[in-house]
Amino acid sequence: MIDFSSPRHRHKLGYLLIAPALIMMALIIVYPILLSVDISFQDVKIARIGSDRKPFSIENYEWLFTSGEFYNSLWVTVRLLLFVGGTALIFGFACALLLNEKFKGRSFARLLVILPWAVPEVVAVVIWAWMLDSSFGVFNWILLTTGMISEPIAFASDPTSAFFSVCLVMIWKGYPFICIMLLAGLQSIPEEQYQAASVDGANVFQRFWHVTIPNMLPVLGVCFVMTALWVFRDFAIIFVLTEGGPVGSTKSLAIMTFEQSFQFFRMGRAAAVGVITLILCAILSRALVSRFAKSVA
Amino acid sequence: MATIEFNQVGKSYGSVEAISDFNLSIEDGEFCVFVGPSGCGKSTALKMLAGLEETTKGNILIGGKDVTDLGPGKRDIAMVFQNYALYPHYSVRKNMGFGLKMRGYPASEINARVEEAAKILELTPYLDRRPKALSGGQRQRVALGRAIVREPAAFLMDEPLSNLDAKLRVHTRSEIVKLQRRLGVTSVYVTHDQVEALTMADKIVVMKLGVIQQVGSADELFENPRNLFVAGFIGSPGMNFFRGTIQNAEGRVFTTFGGAEVPLSDTLASRAGGDAIFGIRPEHIVMGKGKVETGLSLVESLGTEKILHFQIPAGQTIDNSEIENDEEDDDRDAQSMRARIIDDHKYQNGETVKMDFPRSKIHVFDIETHEAIK
Repeated sequence: MIDFSSPRHRHKLGYLLIAPALIMMALIIVYPILLSVDISFQDVKIARIGSDRKPFSIENYEWLFTSGEFYNSLWVTVRLLLFVGGTALIFGFACALLLNEKFKGRSFARLLVILPWAVPEVVAVVIWAWMLDSSFGVFNWILLTTGMISEPIAFASDPTSAFFSVCLVMIWKGYPFICIMLLAGLQSIPEEQYQAASVDGANVFQRFWHVTIPNMLPVLGVCFVMTALWVFRDFAIIFVLTEGGPVGSTKSLAIMTFEQSFQFFRMGRAAAVGVITLILCAILSRALVSRFAKSVA
Repeated sequence: MATIEFNQVGKSYGSVEAISDFNLSIEDGEFCVFVGPSGCGKSTALKMLAGLEETTKGNILIGGKDVTDLGPGKRDIAMVFQNYALYPHYSVRKNMGFGLKMRGYPASEINARVEEAAKILELTPYLDRRPKALSGGQRQRVALGRAIVREPAAFLMDEPLSNLDAKLRVHTRSEIVKLQRRLGVTSVYVTHDQVEALTMADKIVVMKLGVIQQVGSADELFENPRNLFVAGFIGSPGMNFFRGTIQNAEGRVFTTFGGAEVPLSDTLASRAGGDAIFGIRPEHIVMGKGKVETGLSLVESLGTEKILHFQIPAGQTIDNSEIENDEEDDDRDAQSMRARIIDDHKYQNGETVKMDFPRSKIHVFDIETHEAIK
């Protein structure tokens, strides 16, 4: 019997305790990834466990890199990422700064901010879809009755409006999380740094620029990575709101993957899109995390 | 260079009064230390002076100018914080020059002043490092440097030594004093450590519960404490206290300690028959002669000096709440007294010794008000 409390064997207990989690991870994350890489190199229509292996082929990737559809999806995803990521970050940071101030009803305000994040995604998006409906939606009603527009905007059928509708809902859904993360970051900045800066004669903007921003850069970086990854793989918002339409204007890589696999039943192609998405996400997070990790060190 | 004046300054948080009737005037070039146990309001007083906390009453003058309604950046002061509050993302050079940059000085002058201050503080090799790459003592010097490059009217320091280890603290303590003497800038220094206060200050302000207890030089506070709190707070080991009755018999004024007569000053004759609290410092007790006889309960030898502990006779003890000194680092034991002796005698635990409490060294305090009786 090994005595795990002895210094010689202590680390073995650590491995033992972490083993179940590692095995679970391997089963539900690593194995499917390897499987989809494997499928992406075969011409599979409908994947079945236990069916015979198809011969190795790079046909799926050939199709991918020559189809306009893939480049369209990639471009949609990049635009979503920049627009949603950027706006949500700015909006979340502004909210975090407000919520960091002392005022009456602050805890209630914090609750209100976190609410969009707490509502189940599909439920929230169905409500948004109704609010943005071109015939019955409250948005068109407000814009029409205030005279800002003369005829209803077709939020779901005009490519530009559809794209920005998706952006709006994504920002609404995504900023609370950013806000809470940044709020935690703000609270970790020592009060004395602000006091020292004010004694040094810095005004409120200079304090923001010289104390808040540099202290927050690592957190901002992490937030941007997390939002970017979220935009990459979010499916429900786009699917419920526009199903990737009209004319592919909101068809992100995630929607394209779904379409290939469960509408066209081209599992091989879908897997190829998935693998490319995975590689892009890995590069993106690696670049951002290491960059911001360096700025804290 | 400037004088500093507090006029009737008060601070309250809602109905809680943190500081009341704070009146103080600090001369140009003086080194003034605010000292007191935690929660006594010394840091609050300093922050009000810096403009980081609002005053709810009274006004504050720096160099004769009323600064009560000015922001911290407009008071021409520099402050050193307990945790240094250096900007972690800037180099030492940028940290030190930050205040000048905010005031729009040209880069060449900022650089010249920073180099000059770095030379004084021996920081030149570290100018391009970030604070993270410095030791505690070096960070502390950078914080000082940030203060001196500005050439302000006053330095404010909020427990700047408490994050340093004991040896470095003693060293930096004297460095700060030398620097202050050299620059001649009026300085206000906050500490809970009475040793720092005694060794550094021209003027010590002892505070308790937001009220100034006594203002004076180290010698004044040591020799003539105005009340029981100051008497117990200043000095290490702290003053011994015991309770007794003032008696007057046949022209002799005395009290008793375990039955032995302890002579008192004749001026106390009018208070004969009343109880009082008596205090004597451990270093003033004379061993080997006198009427008081007692057994030693503990002998602590520190090489040259010895701390002798002995019991206070039953009925003459004072509990700590009466002294109102709840300092954590004060190891006062209410049941015993301490004598601090430097001699060649080898004292043993349990040994019975004779000792004398010299009349001129006995402090007498009113049992109700705890004020000193002259």
